[in-house]
Amino acid sequence: MKEEVRRRALELAKRIAEAIERGEFPEIEYPPNSQSNIEFLEDVGYVFKPKTYSRITGSRIKSLKTLAGLLYGISRALDHLENGLTMTKRDFYYVHKVEKLKGTLFPEDQRETDARIILMELVLGYPREAFSITSDPRGWIYGDIELIDKSGRLIRADQVGEMGYSVPPRPENIKFKRIGVKAVIAIEKVGPAKNMIELGIPEEKKIGIAILQGQASRSMRRFLRMLSDEGVPIAILTDLSPWSLRIAATVIYNSINSAHIPHLASPEARFIGILTRDVEEGFFKDYQFALEPLTPADLKAAQDNVYLPNLQNEFWQRENQWFLEKKKKAELEIFKAMSPTARKLKDLFVEYLRMKLDEHLGISI
Amino acid sequence: MADKVELEEISASDFFYRNKSLAGFDNPVRATYTIVRELVENALDAAEMKGVPPKILISVEEESREGPLSEGLPWYKITVADNGIGLKPDDIPKAFGRVFVSSKYRLMQSRGTFGLGGTMALLYGQITTNKPFRITSAREGEPAYEITMMIDIKRNEPKILQKRILRGISRNSFTIVESHFEGNYGRARRKIVEYLHQTAIVVPYADILFIEPDGNVYFFPKSTEELPKRPKESLFHPKGVDLELLQRMVEITNTRNMKSFLTKHFQRVGEKTAREVLKLAGIPEDKKPSELTKEEILALFRALRSYKKFLPPDPSVLAPLGEKLFEEGIKKELLPEFVKAVQRPPSVYEANPFIVEVAIAYGGALKPTGEIQLYRYANKIPLLYDVSSDVSYHVIKKIDWTNYGLKSPEEEPVAFFVHIVSTKVPFKTVGKEFIANVPEVAREIELGLRICARELRIYLNRKRRKELMRKRYEIFKMYYQIIAEVLTELVGRRPPIEKLLTKVAGEAGINDEGGSEEESSGAG
Repeated sequence: MKEEVRRRALELAKRIAEAIERGEFPEIEYPPNSQSNIEFLEDVGYVFKPKTYSRITGSRIKSLKTLAGLLYGISRALDHLENGLTMTKRDFYYVHKVEKLKGTLFPEDQRETDARIILMELVLGYPREAFSITSDPRGWIYGDIELIDKSGRLIRADQVGEMGYSVPPRPENIKFKRIGVKAVIAIEKVGPAKNMIELGIPEEKKIGIAILQGQASRSMRRFLRMLSDEGVPIAILTDLSPWSLRIAATVIYNSINSAHIPHLASPEARFIGILTRDVEEGFFKDYQFALEPLTPADLKAAQDNVYLPNLQNEFWQRENQWFLEKKKKAELEIFKAMSPTARKLKDLFVEYLRMKLDEHLGISI
Repeated sequence: MADKVELEEISASDFFYRNKSLAGFDNPVRATYTIVRELVENALDAAEMKGVPPKILISVEEESREGPLSEGLPWYKITVADNGIGLKPDDIPKAFGRVFVSSKYRLMQSRGTFGLGGTMALLYGQITTNKPFRITSAREGEPAYEITMMIDIKRNEPKILQKRILRGISRNSFTIVESHFEGNYGRARRKIVEYLHQTAIVVPYADILFIEPDGNVYFFPKSTEELPKRPKESLFHPKGVDLELLQRMVEITNTRNMKSFLTKHFQRVGEKTAREVLKLAGIPEDKKPSELTKEEILALFRALRSYKKFLPPDPSVLAPLGEKLFEEGIKKELLPEFVKAVQRPPSVYEANPFIVEVAIAYGGALKPTGEIQLYRYANKIPLLYDVSSDVSYHVIKKIDWTNYGLKSPEEEPVAFFVHIVSTKVPFKTVGKEFIANVPEVAREIELGLRICARELRIYLNRKRRKELMRKRYEIFKMYYQIIAEVLTELVGRRPPIEKLLTKVAGEAGINDEGGSEEESSGAG
């Protein structure tokens, strides 16, 4: 992959150099990640299907800046790649904050260089991790899963620290040796996820715990997809909040921003909760006093959710409508409000998971 | 009773003495400025009358006070010398020693704002210091006479104290006026210098040298030898006289009947017109002018006013500067990058012919000041007071300058110039410092300014486009240098971006080949 990326980048550079040598203004065509090039399909999520192409041309000022930026970005990325060095988006931003780029490519803020990364992905046809710009390595997997990582080491994901195995930026290099879990539960919040581990639930109930820590990172989504491809049922457990709907939907369908990166969606994954009916008539119905009010930002998110392409089906919209009406949310920490003792907490977790895994995935624990 | 109304007869000098403020002598600061201005205008008129580029020397020196009051404002000696036509020795006392009620019996445009020339300035000096003034003058090829004199205020007569013939024949004509006055130069200084600077704009063919009391020298050199066309003298237009003037004309005419009175003393009046006017007034054609009653004079005045068929007045009495000279003067004093002057065709308001000349200057040494920069002139005299009351100011305020590529006249390096020449400038007040909002005048100013503004817009568009193309080229250069550097790193050789840059430079009309040479050494 590294060689392939390098080859593509150099090909592009050569093509531009040749145009200049002929005395022509260089031009690049690429498929932009615009709405017209992105399809949403319920059963596969977002799909990048280029129909229209954009042109970067060296004869127009605005376009010329894009071209220079693209080439500069590629040159820095290749330099890192060849030297076995990675950089974050923030690093990439700082790579542009150099003296000689003042008045040209010196960025106003990181959004400028983040957009450049996406352009590089679109032009080169590879995710940024392939040219050494890694996402925050956020996300852990805990449970009876044996895998072989990039360096060739055999790792058991319930024997490498309190939170398990930290999912690397490019999980493609991982090979699964043995999977001993019945399902993996992807959990939005670190606190409840750690509690489940600390209470020994994964070992006892033969489940894996994936800790998302907020919105699932690209690497985490890729890793979940790999598990899903291995036939592991994926369950998603989040707060009941407008943001959490997006977190769950992103794991299932991928997002618009990374729609051009394949294999990030896990359409087989199931959103198990917290659902509105859990609060209204189910598991938490006696604990409505522990709900939190929506903040203005939460409410705004709920209003925006009405228009998000991946939240259009009846289920998501019904869930979202609840926020607009009740102006409340339930957080996973509600389990704490329900359990005066640790013993009780474990019982509640197990009870809830048993009920949900059975209901949504037909798995009994 | 009505017949027996007795008017106290006072001399014109006396009148002036009692009404100093009318003529701009109301306080020592204003008086200092007015004295300089009146004498300079006389000097310029004298030179222009001769038809030579004026050379004017002005010096103001402080001197010690004399007489019983040793304390008070400082005294000054002012000397103004010109290369004008010069005066015969007998004319000197007449020209400087008496205040004429109206020296403008005939019609010709000259500067003299008040028709009283510098005499008032000299009189003011005499009143405040009780010192005589001195005129030295020579006509070409004649000896020079030096006359020391005073004005007898009560009798309105010159009083010669000393008269000398200077030895030798003078090859060139000249006049030197020396006078003493009590004033305040320190506070008048700014206005005086501004006045001379603005005068230099409108008289670009004059050399003006000014020496201040502390020895500072201001020199406004001429930038051209060319003089504007001399105005012609002409008769009054029948609608341009007032009752008092008509009365005087009737008194002193030597014509024998009313028909010839009208045809001889007025322009645009032939036999037929005269007959019709007299019929309208109910005055027999062969009546002797000297026998007209007061009622008949009034009837004649009314007939002249109401008669509809006079041709418009003859504009050849007017002496505009001309577009070329106006631009010349503006360029020389203000160094703008753009200037356009427009002379409007002659026009008429209330039977007074007038010509409006306007100009707009932009950029160069001009800087935005946050205010409208407006230079106003009436018969080549700069108007320095009450700018915001002037008709030109209102016209400029009314125009939407964004249509002409200017944000606002206050925020741009732009200056406006309005010159009105007329036998009767429509001043709003007795102070004669700003022009009234006469619709005919306002219209001409606006039309003229709009023509200049259109030229300015064309200039600015061209300039801005050029700047834009230049900037575009600079941006291309910067980005292609980055591209060249990156490609050198990736491909191993530096692509010849100069080819492309030459293309862009060509589009921008820039000759900048090899402009990126410095880049090639580090990269290869």
